[in-house]
Amino acid sequence: MATVQLVTKVWIAPGCIVCDACETTAPSVFEVKHDDGTCIIRPAALDAEFTKPLSNDIVQAAEECPVDVIKFETIDVPAEQAPAAVTASAAAPTETQAEPHAPSPSAEAASAAAPAKASPHKPATKPKEAAKSMDPAVAALIAAATVRGGAAGILRAAGDVPPAVKGIQKLSPDKLPPDARYAKVLEKSKPPKPEEKTRRDWMVRVGWIAMGVGVGGPSLLGFQRFMMPNVLEEPDPKVRCGPLAKFTGMQPGDVNEDFKNTGRFWIVREEDRLSAVSIVCTHLGCIPSWLPNDRKFKCPCHGSGFKQNGVNFEGPAPRPLERFKIGIEGGEVVVDRSKKFLAMGPNDTAVWNDPEASIPV
Amino acid sequence: MLLLAVRETTTLDRLKHVVNSLCAPEYFVSLTVVLFAVALLWYRRWTKPAIAGTILLLFSIAYFGSAADPNFVKIITKPDNVPITMMIFLVGFFTWLALRLGAVNDERREKGEPLLEAGSDDKVLVWPDLVYTELICLVLCTVVLVVWAIVLKAPLEPRANPSAIPNPSKAPWYFLGLQELLVYFDPWIAGVLLPGLIIFGLMALPYIDKNPRGNGYYTFKERPFVITVYLFGFLIMWCVLIVVGTFLRGPNWNFFGPFEYWDPHRPVALLNINVSDVFWITLPSRYPKLCPWSPGLPTQAALGGIVPAYIVREAPGIALIGAYFLALPVLLAKTAFQKLYAQMGLARYVVFWLLLSWMFLVPIKMVLRWLFNLKYFLAITEWFFNI
Repeated sequence: MATVQLVTKVWIAPGCIVCDACETTAPSVFEVKHDDGTCIIRPAALDAEFTKPLSNDIVQAAEECPVDVIKFETIDVPAEQAPAAVTASAAAPTETQAEPHAPSPSAEAASAAAPAKASPHKPATKPKEAAKSMDPAVAALIAAATVRGGAAGILRAAGDVPPAVKGIQKLSPDKLPPDARYAKVLEKSKPPKPEEKTRRDWMVRVGWIAMGVGVGGPSLLGFQRFMMPNVLEEPDPKVRCGPLAKFTGMQPGDVNEDFKNTGRFWIVREEDRLSAVSIVCTHLGCIPSWLPNDRKFKCPCHGSGFKQNGVNFEGPAPRPLERFKIGIEGGEVVVDRSKKFLAMGPNDTAVWNDPEASIPV
Repeated sequence: MLLLAVRETTTLDRLKHVVNSLCAPEYFVSLTVVLFAVALLWYRRWTKPAIAGTILLLFSIAYFGSAADPNFVKIITKPDNVPITMMIFLVGFFTWLALRLGAVNDERREKGEPLLEAGSDDKVLVWPDLVYTELICLVLCTVVLVVWAIVLKAPLEPRANPSAIPNPSKAPWYFLGLQELLVYFDPWIAGVLLPGLIIFGLMALPYIDKNPRGNGYYTFKERPFVITVYLFGFLIMWCVLIVVGTFLRGPNWNFFGPFEYWDPHRPVALLNINVSDVFWITLPSRYPKLCPWSPGLPTQAALGGIVPAYIVREAPGIALIGAYFLALPVLLAKTAFQKLYAQMGLARYVVFWLLLSWMFLVPIKMVLRWLFNLKYFLAITEWFFNI
């Protein structure tokens, strides 16, 4: 006895992508809410008596749904008791082929015959033929996602529903192997047909090359610098100042400016020692001048003043001038600028008593 | 004839000498502040066009007449310093303009007449009015800059050489005020904190001062406090410091009068002292009865080593700075700023005090430096924390 399936309940599982397909097919049942990011069943369609005459539309919408989130329950009723709209399409299934779920014998026969007709070795140029050469489940998903009309359309074209697809269709959307949305993306990203090369293509290529050279070249240079050892090309920190005898003639309070340019320090004679005093002001790095008449170093930038021994006493400098390591190597006075002796304040100069900070005279 | 010439020069020399001595920084800035106060107190009188014009005339005669002096002309004809002459006259003009319009408006308001700005709808057509004006300004500015660049040689100097350093070494003219600050404060304050506070403070002004009076029309009488504070910051702490840096700072960053020869060998003795020196050494040695501690900086940690020696040493400075930044605002909020505090609320008052206190710390410290050679209120050199 011929029976027809009638939809008594329809609902939407999570995972809707708000694609409008269901509302196009069955506008009285589905309402797409773009603002909410989902699709709802219209209140009227929650009634079984409302959905029964629309069974075909609902089933078609469910199959067209690219992510298969439309779920429904059906009851089987004898064909003569079904509403007219449903029996009409059930009576002529070969025309629409839209009811893979309908257990109509003629429909099943028609779909079973389809794969046998198609040749599996035919080169895949159109989606529906590509569907036959690849994994049927994936092919069906891709086709369902990409052909307007969804699964129903492609199945209509292919004439078959492989058992694997049926299994997939029953899965909840979040368990689908590759998301149908992903399949859609795959389709979109397929290489376009080889076209004749245009001037635009040439411009684009030149643009990319220019950008590659522009970005890559400097990056490469930077990378090359990065691969080099990170050293500063500095002159030797040690300055040889000549024999000690050269400085023994200095009187206490004298300042030797011979190495101001070449070594950036003064040799200063205090009462009992010689020291190498840096010429850089401890305020902001200007270079003070030695004023022999005033017996002080005076900075031209902000007026810091230092006594002959480098102790700050006027202006803004917070610390005395720095001192370098000084010593005698082979009878020659050698100043080693890699080691500094920093006094932290005018009253805090004990660090200068370090034996390396001066030469006793 | 000869006698006359000699007498003239001596009179002129005497005058120059007086000007030079008045330009010692403590007098110069004090006089400027007095002038500033007088200008704001009697803003209705001196801004009258006849009086202001006379002042301008006399000032111009004095300024450009001074060009006869070889030392002064050296300063003003230096290509670096040409903009400063412009700045002096332009700042003067715009200060006069604002105060003049404010004075007129204040008088009109008192008589119940409409303000100057009443009836103007503040609208100009973009095309053609504004665009044409901008075009003409653009062309004029370009012409002036081109002519300026051709006529006055760019002051480029030879390659840096440690043994031949320009003395004095001056920043570009617009930074001379900041360079002056560097003499009194450590770089992190003068170079980072204070400029930052200027920018931050100017941005914060609309949120601190929400009083709508004075919006869209000139007035002085309705906003005397804010206008005075702002003009003090701009005129005294910015423009006058630029003038000080240009005209009064000479070789070795010493002070010179505008008509004085810039002698790099002039001996100037400035022996810095800190508040801690005054408290621990000067006071007990001068007033042993009042200050019974023995003279000498403390070198021992206190309270069993919990308080390091430098904290003990700087205790007077910490107390002073703490009182200035923390106790003074509370005191003022209870007395002179009572109404202001009620209007502002705590948060805005705190920001207001932060900005105001730093602004006034600058002249306070400058004057103390000039008068007493004070270097630091608080000198924790161990941490580079010196105020």
